[in-house]
Amino acid sequence: MQMKKLSSGLLAGCVLFAAAAVSLPGALLFAQEKPVAATPGQPGKLSLEYAVMCEGVKDFKPLNPGVVFSITVGKISCFTAFDAVPSKVFIGHKWYFRDRLVAQMSRVLKPPRWATVSSIQLRASDRGPWRVEIVDSTGKILRVLRFSITD
Amino acid sequence: MNVFSTMVTGIQWRDVVDITLNSYILFRLYVLFRRTNVFRVLIGIALLWFFQRIAVTLGLVLTSWAIQGITAATALIIIIVFRNEIRTVLQTKNLKTILWDITPPSRSEPVDVIVESVYELSHKKHGALIVIPGMDDLEEVVLGGINWQGVPSKEMLSSIFWPDNPVHDGAVIIRDGHVARVGAVLPLSRRKDFPVHLGTRHRAALGLAEATDALVLVVSEESGKVMAARKSRLIPVQDNLQLSRLLHEQLGDSDQSSGSGRKEKVRLAAAAFFAVLFVVSIWFSFTRGRYTLITIDRPIEFVNPAKKVEVYDVSANTVRLSLSGSATIIKSLDPDTVRVRIDLGKAKLGRNTFHILKDNITLPPGISLKRVSPTSVEATLDVPVQKVLPVQVDWIGKLPPGLRLMAVRVEPARVTVVGRRTNIAHLATIYTQKVSLNRLRTSGSLTLKLAPLPRGSEIYLKTKDQITVHFVIKQKEPQA
Repeated sequence: MQMKKLSSGLLAGCVLFAAAAVSLPGALLFAQEKPVAATPGQPGKLSLEYAVMCEGVKDFKPLNPGVVFSITVGKISCFTAFDAVPSKVFIGHKWYFRDRLVAQMSRVLKPPRWATVSSIQLRASDRGPWRVEIVDSTGKILRVLRFSITD
Repeated sequence: MNVFSTMVTGIQWRDVVDITLNSYILFRLYVLFRRTNVFRVLIGIALLWFFQRIAVTLGLVLTSWAIQGITAATALIIIIVFRNEIRTVLQTKNLKTILWDITPPSRSEPVDVIVESVYELSHKKHGALIVIPGMDDLEEVVLGGINWQGVPSKEMLSSIFWPDNPVHDGAVIIRDGHVARVGAVLPLSRRKDFPVHLGTRHRAALGLAEATDALVLVVSEESGKVMAARKSRLIPVQDNLQLSRLLHEQLGDSDQSSGSGRKEKVRLAAAAFFAVLFVVSIWFSFTRGRYTLITIDRPIEFVNPAKKVEVYDVSANTVRLSLSGSATIIKSLDPDTVRVRIDLGKAKLGRNTFHILKDNITLPPGISLKRVSPTSVEATLDVPVQKVLPVQVDWIGKLPPGLRLMAVRVEPARVTVVGRRTNIAHLATIYTQKVSLNRLRTSGSLTLKLAPLPRGSEIYLKTKDQITVHFVIKQKEPQA
């Protein structure tokens, strides 16, 4: 429910996208693996501009992005922004804990630009290495975000 | 009847070949060494061995030990003492003669020339001593003399034994159609019943006939009478026909007498029969003697795998085999000759069950399989593959309040692992050892090792397991 609310709040995806893209420095992106998706700006292809793990979203921006989160945060989110959405399309966020798939969330993207987010509630047993695979509608991996949940 | 059928059952073609081959070898030894002293000694050794086996069977420890020692010593002595005789037998025969010729040794000595010469010398009363060797080697018993190597003729023999000839008192040795030596000195007989009217020449002839199987012809200087010494006996020769017969017998010319030819054939048939009987007896004593059980553990060999396929997760690496056989064979069993092989030619990738049957086990002759444990083994066949996997840092602990880990870069970002395809398929990430955040304050780098791969997974790291981690730490944004 919380996610749905959050997604609903992001329906003005273009605004959110613009705000996020401007506010986050590109230098910090080296925490994630290189995108395997299409080159940004290529006409007719879905392009992932920006993806980050964060503690939440505030003012249409990812809150405290990083690669290590304390279990005490209670919830973490995967924030993704697409700068080229040719048509209405679904993408997925696949959450893995120690290589075991624990959650798979589908999100809709709408042209011309869109940002979306998925979140999970943390439990005590969730400490350890995680990854989120951002996949397109065909299951192709666009990007992998790796992070850890610690004390 | 039951005992007989028990003994006969289980004889395989290999056993028949085994018996036939050894019987033939024994028979050939007889053919080659018959009429020699070596053969007689060999028979003696065989008898000693036979008695030794009986002594062992009866539990006569000291007797069997003593006979065994004597047998071993005799076998050694035979080679030393009879080396010349053995060499003569082997050297004078070609391969065909050694392998399958059974005709008795015949030589092309000039019988007629010898007969005529002897009677010429007899007529002139010229003493003569002519030696026709048999199978025995004369080197050990005949002394001196002059090597001659001449083609014998009546004139030559007459001149050798001419009273004014310096070598006329010695013996002439005729071998292989040649006068091999003249003036040879023969050993004298020491018989006490030697006739007083006979001289030294006769005593020498008898002496050689006692020591060897040679035929020695003597012509008396006084009476001109001809005598032949053979097999420790002096035989008066009545006429040229008798002399000719004696010479032909000595030379092994069987065509001269159909009776002796028949005898020879009977002798050979008997020898062949005894050779077979002897070998069969030994074979049965070896293979059907007292049965003994033995248990050995042997490793399982997986053979004939498909290309690149390897065997993993074998339920048992060895099998326990209960074997039986005669005590002699079991005692001399080399475990390495027992092999357990499983053919992977028809096996499929994944888990397979292989039943261990008799066909999978190679045993030496004379050994039979009683029990196998386990009767089947399970093994997984798989193809080893390489996979390149990303490396992820396994953080633990907690950063000081107000700090956050913004970014991490790992060098190398990916490593290569090798392992079974099925095991490696689900592996998506290689983690580092756990890294504590507690003491981190500022951005920096760390050198780490990778976490050990799961035990028993049979996955191996192909690259070095040292990783450098670069990390960025920043202050948290103040909460609004």
